[in-house]
Amino acid sequence: MTKAADGAKTTAPASQSAGFKNTALGSFISRYAETLALIGALLVLVLIFSNLNPRFATLENLQNLLNQAGLPLIIAVGATLVILIGSIDLSVEGVMSASGMAFVLMSANTRGGTDFGIWAFVVAITIGAALGFANGFIFTKVKVPSFIVTLGMWYVGLGIATIMYGTETMPFLVDDNLSTWASQINFGLPNNFLLAVVVAILGALVLRFTSFGRATLAVGNNEEIARGNGLKVTRTKIVVFLLAGAISGVAGIVATIQLGAANPTVAAGNLFITIPAVVIGGTSLAGGKGGMLGTVLGVVLLTTLNNGLILSGVSPNFQTAVSGGILVIAIIATAWSQRGRLRISK
Amino acid sequence: MTDKKVAKTPVLVLDHIEKSFGSNKALKSISFSINPNEVIGLIGENGAGKSTLLKILTGIYQTDAGTIEVNGKKVKFRNPRESVASGIGVVHQEQSLFTNLTVAENIAMNSGSGSSASSKFGFYSWGSIFKTASKTLSTIGSKLDPRAIVGDLPFVDRQMVEIARAISVNAGSGGCPLVILDEPTSVLERHETEVLEREIRKIKEFGSVIFVSHRLDEIMRNCDRIIVMRDGELVADRLVTDVTEAQLFKLMVGHEARAVSHVRKGLDNSEVPAIEVRDLNRSSKFSGVSFSVRAGRLTAIVGATGSGREDLVRAIFGAEKIDSGTLLVGGKPVKNWRIPKAVKAGIGYVPSERKVEGMIGGLTAAENVTFTHPGKAAVGPFLIPKARKKIAQGWFDTLDVRPNDISQELGRFSGGNQQKVVMAKWLNSPDLRVLILDHPLRGLDPGAAQTVNEQIKLACEKGAAIILLADTLEEALEMGDEVLVMRDGEVTSAFDLAKDNPSTLDLLERMV
Repeated sequence: MTKAADGAKTTAPASQSAGFKNTALGSFISRYAETLALIGALLVLVLIFSNLNPRFATLENLQNLLNQAGLPLIIAVGATLVILIGSIDLSVEGVMSASGMAFVLMSANTRGGTDFGIWAFVVAITIGAALGFANGFIFTKVKVPSFIVTLGMWYVGLGIATIMYGTETMPFLVDDNLSTWASQINFGLPNNFLLAVVVAILGALVLRFTSFGRATLAVGNNEEIARGNGLKVTRTKIVVFLLAGAISGVAGIVATIQLGAANPTVAAGNLFITIPAVVIGGTSLAGGKGGMLGTVLGVVLLTTLNNGLILSGVSPNFQTAVSGGILVIAIIATAWSQRGRLRISK
Repeated sequence: MTDKKVAKTPVLVLDHIEKSFGSNKALKSISFSINPNEVIGLIGENGAGKSTLLKILTGIYQTDAGTIEVNGKKVKFRNPRESVASGIGVVHQEQSLFTNLTVAENIAMNSGSGSSASSKFGFYSWGSIFKTASKTLSTIGSKLDPRAIVGDLPFVDRQMVEIARAISVNAGSGGCPLVILDEPTSVLERHETEVLEREIRKIKEFGSVIFVSHRLDEIMRNCDRIIVMRDGELVADRLVTDVTEAQLFKLMVGHEARAVSHVRKGLDNSEVPAIEVRDLNRSSKFSGVSFSVRAGRLTAIVGATGSGREDLVRAIFGAEKIDSGTLLVGGKPVKNWRIPKAVKAGIGYVPSERKVEGMIGGLTAAENVTFTHPGKAAVGPFLIPKARKKIAQGWFDTLDVRPNDISQELGRFSGGNQQKVVMAKWLNSPDLRVLILDHPLRGLDPGAAQTVNEQIKLACEKGAAIILLADTLEEALEMGDEVLVMRDGEVTSAFDLAKDNPSTLDLLERMV
């Protein structure tokens, strides 16, 4: 009997891994199937749009496109961390407004006041981190769903920005070097995209090479097991939200620099593109699965889509509806492989 | 208590451990000790206090009174981390691995990756994590790749990872580790169990084991000493050589095993089968499957993991797609088969994943009983709570569900009692035509298992056709009128037990 059992054990895995999957190329493809699919989709879009409008495939438009992708990508790095633990952060736009407003008011601006120099950056990012910490603290300690906490924090952030804004005229950045920084080209790429890539690489390194990063994946996979293994679940979650808030703070600074001025609505519309981009990039809303490479591809894919639609002459009146529809279709395509008759989605 | 190895420091000494939940005394003055290199069998019915005791040993619960000593040192665990640090590792009943992480990381979780050499200032050293994991895996004789993602591994391999993690508890300290195996075999097929039993013998060479199982034969085979619990008390602590299986059953349950009489009827081909499949196919799951079950009969299907028998019965219930072939219910072919149609046609399905698919844990037990076939408990869209209570109470009394409280949320009952309620949900149908049972005894103690088996027989006698995927081959041979053997999605043999008398070895040969 033992002999028969041995036979069963050794033959089963062998037959599973036999064939194509066993080759180096096969295992590479099956391991990176989702990433390759995203790159394929991106290539298809590029082909279509270059045929529709020759202006699409120019260096100028590529730089323009990546300039558009910079801000959403920064935000998406924070969103990826939050979604990896199975939560959601809707407060992004509010946090960006508050941080951006603080940044401009503390820098040299048309309203006068003191120029705090580097401290403007520090304070803006700290405001983001503080709001993020508040999200995480309320979420974990009061046990309110992150969806609701961050929805509220969105408006808290907007409110803080509005109060700081007051009733005076819009504060413009005075320093021209600063207000044109985001779109300046270095190494052939716009600065804000380079910054976004640096943030994404840092995010990827944290996920791969730190205990905190691995704990994030573990908590997202199964919180109860994580707790049973002695991981500090609550602390991990709070740090995730704190980091996401700090990243939103950075995004708020970049957004005001791009505008050259501060305005409570400076961040409007950013949430709409980032969360779908993260999901299309393969990060599961259920948590535990995904990463930064997919997020970068997801953001570039959606930005390409928006950019291409404009260049293809889709009427601006239809633009919003078309973007929304295409988003839904893209999400369906992403989730297609996971559908099942008994799969429950809430 | 045995006092034969006084010279060695015991790995674990429990002295008058007490634990209460409200007025319910879950543990009443439990005392025993475990010696180095000893395998202890811990048995008892669901609700006897085993789980509570294990949760105390693993730092999830804290004791009300009494002391715990590990390797001669007095300890008090405030959380799982402290239990792990003292050298106690657990292989959980339901696998508790991170499916999205590598084998090595899962193993490292228990050796305290936060502080050991594998990570410095919170930064991972993948090289040292992989190296430590290969070393741990080789001590249990496993050749798994530490870089593999756990979610990609088959079930047996995952259990190896669990064991490796459990024994890595005190890789540094050098003391004798204590590995708790909490019903690890309840979800394993027979031949997989043998792999596990080999591992137990390996662990015994360098550590001690607490082995929790409901299968008394396994306990007798693998343990040196057996501890029996009943109603929160330790009722026996015996060397395995001093006790028989029948005595253990009596100690656990409090009464002797009732013989389940089973008279087999020969096949009568004139009857229309209650359920019949002809040349049923589902790509990469099963192919060319044909069989039928008549009213009042039980067909057991046996097969190893990957035999396709689970997919087959789920397809018959409409829970999975059928690619081609015919399914006949009561002699009539059906089309576009879906669960609601199956339920309406009188088919019931007790799934193996009870908590996920079989019950709604947040609703009361009474609501669960009357959820699918409400009977008098509903008139049109309106529910009748009074009738519901009456029906549920009837089933609670018949099935001896404990605690006997129909208004408690089902999720708060123990596994065996949940299973009784899941059974009642289908048995409550006035015209149950086919009952599909996927591992109905999984994780059940012998007492609960007996109740469930009696109900299966009763349903059979009342005229239901039963399809049973049994936990063991013995169970299949004992319960079945007919046994089908499946391998790689095909039926390889069929035995009519009224005429044939196959041995478990005969079945096993056709399975692998």
